[in-house]
Order: sequence, then structure tokens, then C-alpha cells
Amino acid sequence: MNSTLPALLFLVPFLSALLCGALGGYLRGAARWIALGALAATAALSFAGAALAAAGERLVTHMGGWAPPLGIEWRLDALSAFVAAFVAATALIVHGALGDVRRRELGEREPGFNTCALLLVSGLMGMIASADLFNLFVHLEVASLSAYALVASGGRGAPRAAVRYLVIGSLGASLYLLGVGHVYAATGTLNMDDAAARIAAGADPRLTILALAFMISGLAIKMGLFPLHGWMPGAYARAPLSAAALMAPLVTKVSAYALIRILFWVYGPAGLGRAPIVADLLCVTGAVALIAGALLAAREADLRRLLAYSSVSQMGLVVLGIGLANAAALTGAILHLANDALMKATLFVGAAELAHRFGVREVGDLARVRARAPWTAAAMAVAAFSLVGLPPLCGFFGKWYVLMGALESGRPGMAFAIVAGSLASAFYAFRIVERLYFARSGEACPEREGPAGLVAACALLGGGVAALGLGSDRVVALLVRAAIPGGV
Amino acid sequence: MDPRVLGAMAAPFAAAAAIYLGRRRGAEAWTYAAAGVSLALALALLPAVRAGVAPEVRLMGLLPGVDLFFRVDPLGLTFALLAAGLWVVTSVYSSGYVRAMGLENRRRYFACFAASIGCALGVAFAGNVLTFLVFYEGLTLATYPLVAHKETDAALAGARRYLAYALTGGLALTAAAAWTWMLAGTLDFVPGGFLPPRLAGGALAGLFALYAIGYGVKAAVMPLHAWLPGAMVAPTPVSALLHAVAVVKAGVFGCLRMVQYVFGPDTLSSSAAPAVLIAACGVTVVAGSIAALRQDNLKRRLAYSTVVHLSLIVLGAALLAPHGTVGAMLHMVNHGFAKITLFFCAGAIYASTHAETVSRLGGLGRHMPWTFAAFTVASLALVGFPGLCGFVGKLILARGAIEASQMVPLAILLGGSLFTAAYLLPIVRAAYFDPAPNDAVREAPGLMVGPLVATSALVVVFGALPAVINLQYELAARAAAQIFGGAP
Repeated sequence: MNSTLPALLFLVPFLSALLCGALGGYLRGAARWIALGALAATAALSFAGAALAAAGERLVTHMGGWAPPLGIEWRLDALSAFVAAFVAATALIVHGALGDVRRRELGEREPGFNTCALLLVSGLMGMIASADLFNLFVHLEVASLSAYALVASGGRGAPRAAVRYLVIGSLGASLYLLGVGHVYAATGTLNMDDAAARIAAGADPRLTILALAFMISGLAIKMGLFPLHGWMPGAYARAPLSAAALMAPLVTKVSAYALIRILFWVYGPAGLGRAPIVADLLCVTGAVALIAGALLAAREADLRRLLAYSSVSQMGLVVLGIGLANAAALTGAILHLANDALMKATLFVGAAELAHRFGVREVGDLARVRARAPWTAAAMAVAAFSLVGLPPLCGFFGKWYVLMGALESGRPGMAFAIVAGSLASAFYAFRIVERLYFARSGEACPEREGPAGLVAACALLGGGVAALGLGSDRVVALLVRAAIPGGV
Repeated sequence: MDPRVLGAMAAPFAAAAAIYLGRRRGAEAWTYAAAGVSLALALALLPAVRAGVAPEVRLMGLLPGVDLFFRVDPLGLTFALLAAGLWVVTSVYSSGYVRAMGLENRRRYFACFAASIGCALGVAFAGNVLTFLVFYEGLTLATYPLVAHKETDAALAGARRYLAYALTGGLALTAAAAWTWMLAGTLDFVPGGFLPPRLAGGALAGLFALYAIGYGVKAAVMPLHAWLPGAMVAPTPVSALLHAVAVVKAGVFGCLRMVQYVFGPDTLSSSAAPAVLIAACGVTVVAGSIAALRQDNLKRRLAYSTVVHLSLIVLGAALLAPHGTVGAMLHMVNHGFAKITLFFCAGAIYASTHAETVSRLGGLGRHMPWTFAAFTVASLALVGFPGLCGFVGKLILARGAIEASQMVPLAILLGGSLFTAAYLLPIVRAAYFDPAPNDAVREAPGLMVGPLVATSALVVVFGALPAVINLQYELAARAAAQIFGGAP
């Protein structure tokens, strides 16, 4: 069905970003409301899209009315609708929750920050909706550039972390672009469906596999896949609290989505079958990342760096699921994108609140907020349990489906890696819980948790972790099942 | 949908929430109310189960074709009645204990206690492996704060060790559940097992090992037992109800479910799995008894005694004979009565004298007549003195061993009884015949002595009243008849 909705998903935040930037200097209050309104509108649009996709609709936008392969296409099928829905909803909740934190830590720079945040969301939504390999790159760059700026707006150490992020991130984007160039050389098209048809018809396999290698490497950097995760801990720990909470749950997930899209829609089982080593490499790297990320997190003192390593570990599970490339594993990988977004949003919003209200940045200092922040602590504990994969929280189901996939494809080694990774996750997750609830601290903090909106958002996200777990069967039945490509 | 089933499980969780969110003074009232409601509702299920009906509750779907599903069968109801019944007594004892010891953080204590019982009831009523897993992991989470309760370094270390063991078990069970689902396409418990009958040898061995690790950790079968003595740093009511009855019996209960309701005697009888289980139990009985003999700390000696007796129950399941199952179910309950009495006594002694070691108990019998009378009765019951509850279960276990014409288990059973006499009766002798300490020692507060007298009365009632024994036997025989066929 032709519709403007897929394009509106990124146009609404994009145009609002311009408006926000133009007005921010004069009417700071208005700019704040514009930003929030734009995110709310994006979330509403993405939910409408998800509802239509669940009903079996497939929404496409042809830019200027030009049909592909000549025109540029954006579209919303079950997969992109699912990803768009949780990305937009998470962005809205996180941005809405952190208003006070933003005002205090950014002051004068808030309008510029809001502009960058909207551009980031616009870039991410564009990546999700794009049905064109080159346009995906354009949106990726919009998201990346605004992410660099967001990191750089932090305090001490932020410029350094931002430059590091910029250099490594640009390398990733360049690699991706190089891959797109090779696809164009081999097939003469950039539209995903068109390229898929020509790859299936037997376009030069040497070029297309090389292209795939470049694109995977580029996206692996963007999604922080171990050992290419070096930019992540610094960027998330040094960025402003409100920026880290927005970026950490979303940026890596959308890059993983792009990987799924390219692997299974552009190349498809036929394209992948020509280079079986790709899937094996993804499996092994994912398994290593799953365990290594958890071990790195276990020995990290800084709370936000710890959470970044936890993302490395969780993305490892996603990549493992992608590499296994059967229906169960892919269900797990797609579901786990939403799971990790929600878990990380809970933990980063909680971490932002604790740093903002109590000045706590290290795991060891969490003892100081004991009994002073009951709701925040409870939400963070729920998310931590979910990271370990305790049922019936959402993290369990992501693991379960990938585990099923590993067993179905007859790879007990991968199944063992998933179990070992879960156990390793327990070390860092329960460190947080133990410090929050059972450690004694010499100095008592006079503050209490707050403001109310932030606490409510944290509790809402924590509740969402449980709700997505209990409702995962419905989510899988409505959206994820339909998002699995045919032939997998 | 049976409201009694749902109510019995929901009452403890509702109480936990009310205690956590409510006023400190209300904690005990909520506990009493919930314990009463749970026990009453579980008792209300008894007539239906005796009539051969299995009340069911089917809640939301968790996985395609696997629901959050509860089904009350004779085995489950036996465990539920044990947990709910002893919770009532332990609540009174807890009230006395927190006052006598000046325990802090009482709201957390009572809330986690209630949640643990709720999880134990969930385990009891679980109708499939996944539901079982949800509450099994919940039990780990809910008891973890109770082990860490004192917040000393020793308590935190004990709690960490407990978590490490319990989560490993939970993950093994997760993997086992995933594998089972792949092999059988269902997870619902069926008397006599639901796994496909002709399982490849490797799959059977691997699956059995995973289940055995999963349940063996909580059932403290060696070498997976090391958490249990360490968990004795918890307050005594916790050791009494959870680490002598609810948690460890959940593991034993799981072993019974695995052997009789997942694999089934027919599948297992042709494999080496029962022999391995019997060997592990034999080693545990001997090594655990020797460890108990060497322990001077009273609670740790009792913990090792628990390790030994749990293995005797698992042994009954491994016999794959009708009377083995009946005996296991009876000893599961009867050991609970005797062991909780012993722990109650240990707590009462500690409250009056602050004596933690066996060597300081000499001569206390005359100063604390009620406590040591109860201790004597419970010790004799565990040894297997006729007329007390421990005798009945052991007698039927022995019959099961003879029925299966397995002499090694019979020897283990008798040897375990001798060892039990060796490490418990010297305490009784010293208490009555050694010279009394000089300082005046008095009986513990009535709120602690009352419950221990009550549970020792249960020890006598379940060992001497034919009506009660028959009722208990009837439930167990009904379960055995469902599994092995034939009349109850």
C-alpha cells in the first residue's frame, strides 16, 4: 500500500530538529515542547505503522512518485515496523524522562542538544524505513554525526571520547559505503529488492561477497561487536547522562537491524549459501562477544561503562542468533533487539537519575542510594535480572529462542556459549543488585529519588521489561513471526 | 480455572507486596493472614485430588504452545501442603525470633519470606517444565536476600556462593527445557513421562545430566551441595523452612518430576541414568555423614544432615519402583517435620545461650526442657525410630529397594540411618548427661518454643496416628499408580 507514513517517520523528527534549532535561541521553552512533541508524533506514527503491519499491510513511500528501481523507496514491513515501534517508544520515554537532568547538565546548550537528539532519532528511523542501500548510508551518517555531537557535549573527557568515537565510527561508515559501492558495481542497482533479485540471479559472486564483507565489517563497528567495540564504553560514560541514555539503547540495535536486513533481504539464503563462512564467522564472533562482553563488564567499576560492556555482550547474542540463520534463532535475535533496548533504557535512565540526584557514578557507590531510591532501584534490579535471563522477564525469551535455534541446527557448542554467557552476565548484574540492596555505606545520603516524572519513567521501563517478557508470545505471534524472511 | 489454586499461590505474593509497600508493623499480620489463606486453600484442594480430579489453571501463553500452566496432582499437592503448613508455624517462630534477636530490616525479611513460599507453591503446582522453571528461578531470587540478610561480609559471601550455584542449576535447567521442547514438542508434565520413547543414547545422557545438575543443585546432591552449609549464615527461621524444607525440597521435588513425569520409568530403566543417580546419592550419604560428624557448628551439622536425607529421597525416585516413589514422597514430608524442629531448636538455643557449637550444648537439657525434648524426638525420628514420622518413609523406601531387588540402595538407606544416629544422638546424650553450665540459662521465648513443640507433635502424629499416615500414603500411592499404572 502506498503511504507517506514510512517517510514521515524520519521527516517529522528531521523537520522538527530544524525548527528546534532555529527557535531554540529565542524560545527555549517552545523548543523543548517541539522536541517532545516530535518524538511523541514519531512514536504515534510508528505504532500506527506497527498496527498496520500486524494486520498484514506493507507500507511503501516512493519519493516524488518515482517507482523503484529509479526512485528512492522507504517501506514498513513487519520487521521494520517492529523495530521502529520500540525505537520510537524508547526514545520518547527516555527523552521525556530526562528533562530535568538535561536542563541541569546542559544549561545554555539545551536547544542545540535537543536538535542533535532529534536528528539522531531521524537518522535511526530513516535507517529502519529505508529500502535503499545508499539511502541507508545517508541516514546512518545523519545518526552518527549527531551521535558524535551528543557525546562531545559532555563534560570532562567527552571531547576525547567523541574524537575516538568519530574516528572509529567514520571507519565503520566508510567500510559500509565501500560495500555499497561493490554491490552497485556487481548489480547496477541500489534498491534492496532489485539488488536481491540480481544477486539471486547470479551477479558476480566475488564482488557481491566482498561487498557483504565490507558491509558487515562496517555495521559490526557501528553495533559495537566485540572486538570492534572500543568506542562504546568511553562514549557512553563520557557523554552527557541524557545523551547516553538515548544512544545506548538505540544506536547499536538499529545497526544490527540493518545487518539483518542486508543479510536476509538483499542476499537471502541463496546469497549466503555461496559463502557459508559468513554465517559461521558471525556465530563464532557472536559467541565470543557474548562471553567476553560479560567478563569485561564484571570487572568494570564505572556504572555506565559496565552497562556499555553489557551491551557488547547482549549484541553478541543477537549476532549469534543472526549467524545461526534459522527461524528460531532469528526470532530470538529480532526479539532481543527490543529486549536489550528496553533493559538498557531502564538501566541508563536509572544510572542518569542516580548520577544526577546522588552523584553516584561507580558501582561501588551505589550503596549510598540504599533505601533512598526504592523505585529506581527496583526497576534497575528487574532489568539486571532480565539481563541474566531469568524467566519470565524479557531477556529470558530472547535467549530461549536463540538457544532453540542453536539446538535445532545441531550446534551444542553454541548452546553452551549462550548458557556460559548468561552465567557470566550474572556476575555483573548481581554486583549491581548487591550494591543497591545489601551493601552498607558509611555516609548516608540526605537526598531522595526524584523528580517524580523521572522515577515514574524508570518504573515504567522496568515494568516494560516484565511486560515484554510475559507478552513475548503475543509479540512474536503478531510481528516477529511475520518478520522472518521466507526460506530461512 | 480453579480459584483455589490461583488463590493459594497469589496470597503469599500479595502479602509480599503489601509488606514491602506497607508499614513496618503490618508485616507480621500480613504474613499470618497469607499463611492461613494459603494453607486453607491448599487443604480445600485435598478432597478433589483424593477423588482423582486435577484442578487446573491456564494463564497467558509464554511460548507458542506453552502456557503459564498449573495443574494440581497428588505429588504437587503433597509438596504444597508441606510448604504452606510449615509456613504457618514458621511465621509464629519468626515473630519470636526477630524480637529475641533484634533483627533489622524486618519488612524485607517478611516480604522475601512470603515471596519464597509463593514460589515454592508455584513450583508445586507447575504443570509444565517452563512454569516450573519460572518459579524455580524465582525461588532463587526470593531467598537470596534472606541469605544475605545480616549484610555482614560472611553473609554476602554465602549469598554470592548460593547465587552462583543456584543460577548455574537454573541455566542447566533452561538448556534442558529447550532441548526437551525440541525433542518432544511439548513441555507439559505427564505421569510416566512425555519424552519420545526411543531417544538416542547421547541425547538421553546429555539431557539427563542437564536436568540432574538443574535439580541436583537445589537438592544439594554432592558435588553440588557446597552452597547449603554456606547458606546457614541466614537467620534461623530461613534455614529452618527454606534451607531444610522449601528450597531444597523444590530440588528433590524436581528430581521426582524429572524421573517420573519427564523421562518416565520406562525410558530410564533401560539406561545407566538411575545407576548414576544412585551412585551419586550413595557417595553423598557417606561423604555428607562424615562431614556432619566433623562439624562442631550445630546449624552446619544439621545442614549436612539435610544433604544426607535429601539424597535418600532422590534415591527413592531413582529406584523406579512404585514403593520407591511412595517412600520418597513420604520421606520428603516427614524429613521436613523433623528437620524444621531441629532447626527451630538450634535457633531457640542460640537465642537463649548464644551457643552455636555442639560442644557448648552440654547439660542444657535440664535448663531448656521443652527445646531438648523436641530435639530428642526429632533426632530419633530422623534415625528412624518406630512410632515417629521418619520411620514410615524409610520403611517404605526399603520396601521399594527390595521390590526393585536392588541391595545397594538398601544398604545406603540403612547406613544413612546409622550415620544419622552417630551425628545426632551424641548431642542428645551430652545435653542430658553432661554437667550443666554454671550460669543460669532459661527456655527461649514462648513464641519460639510453641512452634517447635508444635512441629515435634507433628513428628509424633505423622509417625503414630494411622488415619494421618493412611491419608499421606493414599496421596503418594495415587501418584505412584498414575506413574506406574495399576490401582492406587
